[in-house]
Amino acid sequence: MRAGVDQRAIADVTPLFLPAIPFGFVLGLAMRESAMPTTVAWATSPLLFAGAAQLAVVTLAGTATVWAVIVAGLVINTRHVMYSAALAPVFQQQPRWVRWVGSFVLIDQVFALAAMRADLPPHEFRRYYLTAGFFFYLNWQWSTALGLVVGPAVPESWRLEYAPPIMFVALVLIGIRRVPQGVAAFVGGVVGLATAGLPDRLGILAGAVAGVAAGTVAEYAAERPAGSAA
Amino acid sequence: MSFWSSLAIVVTVAAITYAMRACVIVGLAGRTIPVSVERSLRNVGPAVLAALAVNLAAGGEGGLHLEPEVAAALVAAGAVAWWRRSVIWSLSSGMAVLWLVAAIG
Repeated sequence: MRAGVDQRAIADVTPLFLPAIPFGFVLGLAMRESAMPTTVAWATSPLLFAGAAQLAVVTLAGTATVWAVIVAGLVINTRHVMYSAALAPVFQQQPRWVRWVGSFVLIDQVFALAAMRADLPPHEFRRYYLTAGFFFYLNWQWSTALGLVVGPAVPESWRLEYAPPIMFVALVLIGIRRVPQGVAAFVGGVVGLATAGLPDRLGILAGAVAGVAAGTVAEYAAERPAGSAA
Repeated sequence: MSFWSSLAIVVTVAAITYAMRACVIVGLAGRTIPVSVERSLRNVGPAVLAALAVNLAAGGEGGLHLEPEVAAALVAAGAVAWWRRSVIWSLSSGMAVLWLVAAIG
């Protein structure tokens, strides 16, 4: 099996995985606090394998309706459609099983690496992609389990229940690359705050819809002057 | 929350997430989604995560309620994330500010 492991992929993915360890740990703590049975909450790691959505699902469970929790988790993951579209041409040169299996580990970090190495010859890309993806996948399992196991030893005075929202703020600001995304985040946050008192966490959906709409308007506004100049 | 309804949530979100990751790679290989759709998708992440952050910090059963130390922690975490582009720096600064402001206030 060692022959199948791509050393370059390990070298590339390790620096991306290390910052994910504290995230996995906090997620493990959130699993412990979740209204879900702990085993089911942890099962989000092997089944869902998407940190932000996992954190949302285990944190919101029990505080909103089942449908609200599902919608929140899915809306966060819609960006994966974009990754899928971006990598589709590269995967066209791969066998069918690689398309099915590879899709399963298509998270932010793996997408970033795959996009960077998209010009590798198909057989090298396959080894590279699967090594990076499953390296992240396997290590993600223990890093979330660690938070789950160590969680009870963490004193309440540390107020780690606020770690998830803080982490989401970090993910928002790190993910902003363009002005319309900044507008989407700002409007999403302001509307989300104004509607935070609504039952069933409806404020998340309200903020998300308002933010996406504002971002799209900003997109067109930014495009118009450029279009008329061309 | 019961075992089965929890499992139903996890399996549903996991299955649809897989479908979202696989849809174009497996289903529409060779075709791409329209540019306008792709652009809107880019705004979904920032919008929903921002709304989620403030909702988790300020929402819940008791209605709108944001403690000053939590607000300070979110602002600090945001500033550090923007500056350092690092989750771990952002998280540690946010927690440090949370403890500090709570201790002072």
